Amino acid sequence: MTALLEIDNLTGGYRDTNVLFDVSARIETGSVLGVFGRNGVGKTTLARLVQGSLIAGAGEIRLEGSSVGTLPAYARRELGFGYMPQTSMVFDDLTVRENLNLGSNREAPDRYFERFPRLAERLDQPAGTMSGGERKILAFVRSMIEDTKLIVLDEPSEGVQPENIYHMADCLKERAAAGVGVLLCEQNLTFLTSISSWYLGLDAGTVVLNKPANEVSGADLRSILSL
Amino acid sequence: MSSVLFLNLAWQISTLALVALGLAIVFGKLQIMNMAHGEFVMIGAYAPVITSSMGLPGWLQVPMCLLTVALVAFALERTIIRHLYGRMFDSLLATWGIAILLREAVELIFGRGYQSVSPPIGGTLSILGADYPAYRIVVIIGIIVGFAALYWWNTRSKVATRIKAMVGNPDLAEAIGINTARLSAGAFIFGCCTAGLAGLILAPTIRIEPMMGLDYLIRSFFALVVGGLGNLEGLGIGAGIIAGTQSVLGAVANQTYGYLAVLTLSILFLWLKPDGIRSSSR
Repeated sequence: MTALLEIDNLTGGYRDTNVLFDVSARIETGSVLGVFGRNGVGKTTLARLVQGSLIAGAGEIRLEGSSVGTLPAYARRELGFGYMPQTSMVFDDLTVRENLNLGSNREAPDRYFERFPRLAERLDQPAGTMSGGERKILAFVRSMIEDTKLIVLDEPSEGVQPENIYHMADCLKERAAAGVGVLLCEQNLTFLTSISSWYLGLDAGTVVLNKPANEVSGADLRSILSL
Repeated sequence: MSSVLFLNLAWQISTLALVALGLAIVFGKLQIMNMAHGEFVMIGAYAPVITSSMGLPGWLQVPMCLLTVALVAFALERTIIRHLYGRMFDSLLATWGIAILLREAVELIFGRGYQSVSPPIGGTLSILGADYPAYRIVVIIGIIVGFAALYWWNTRSKVATRIKAMVGNPDLAEAIGINTARLSAGAFIFGCCTAGLAGLILAPTIRIEPMMGLDYLIRSFFALVVGGLGNLEGLGIGAGIIAGTQSVLGAVANQTYGYLAVLTLSILFLWLKPDGIRSSSR
């Protein structure tokens, strides 16, 4: 059966410098692939290669069997890719409301305001004047309200207070239950293990672990983080 | 202040604001230092020359102007400009070359001599106790209405918000589905078309010749330096200060003092307040 997303032998990076080497992974409909590893192992590069802001030097990326690896980011968005980057994740000069209203094929954000009430209080405030954690939440909610088949999130919990990380996990579980695939690059193991159905461990740009969550122990995850 | 001086001031400020609008869009939003901006004004000014030489009806001047400028801008964007977004110094050099090319091309077709055209609206209107050319009054009112509409569009429209998003964070804009290459091309062509339209409007009041664009480029640049980039308020303030200073000094002293004052003012702003009075990325 065709997976929602198939990554085959992906090699890529920035200009002439490759950061990822021969990476393969699959994400099934409604499942969460937790990508983890130490700083600088290639998590962000993988997220950007999948989302389209970087184009792979070699390898294949397929969504529902169709090759998307050479498409620009905006075209992948039209096909159902959502993305929350690790940095520069909001439009600083636009208000919170404008950030949430940009883009096509999205639902109203109102139901997320129950979990993240600070956003509702700051709708007319420029996003760039909010704290780092609040900007993360804004970017997270924006990625949640988009009509997507696959959401790529790069370190969404970084700088976010614990209570809101729990809410993020709940939101992602709901989206996965609705059939959306999730590629979650994360260093927060508590958050990662609470929602991932499959793990992809990276070290020095290569895959060192690629297993379903029920076959991986906490010690396995910690050993890769300490490699 | 006499009524005529006041009306001349309104004419100078409003037309400079219109001429500088395209540069503000292309420079402020796309970070393309378009040294060929004045040449688009010049191409627009030649539109009535073309229609009259071909014996076409006067109303075709507007579509002729917009079509010609849009085609030239489209061709340049596809071949040169799209590789230079965000590269201000490179774009300055490239568009300087484009400006020379456009001037030479126009000179080849129309010659180096002056051309003149008649205003589509003749006669005078009595306003504030003075008889003033009706065409200029209509243009001043039209520009004020046009800028009000543009301000409304800039604060309300989804396209304007998308442009702001693209300028602030192009990677994220692509990620949420904005085709930034197409949006940038559209903004560049729109900016050039406003310059062409300014040339068309100014044509009956000036001598049309291939070198005319340079003066408009310089004064537009000064207006943006003083007013600041990124918003219409800054453009209006900059145009007001530059055109106002030049007009008033030109009237009470002479044009040389007017130019000297404008140049001094611009240097002071570049030195002491390089972001201008109302700089903003919004």
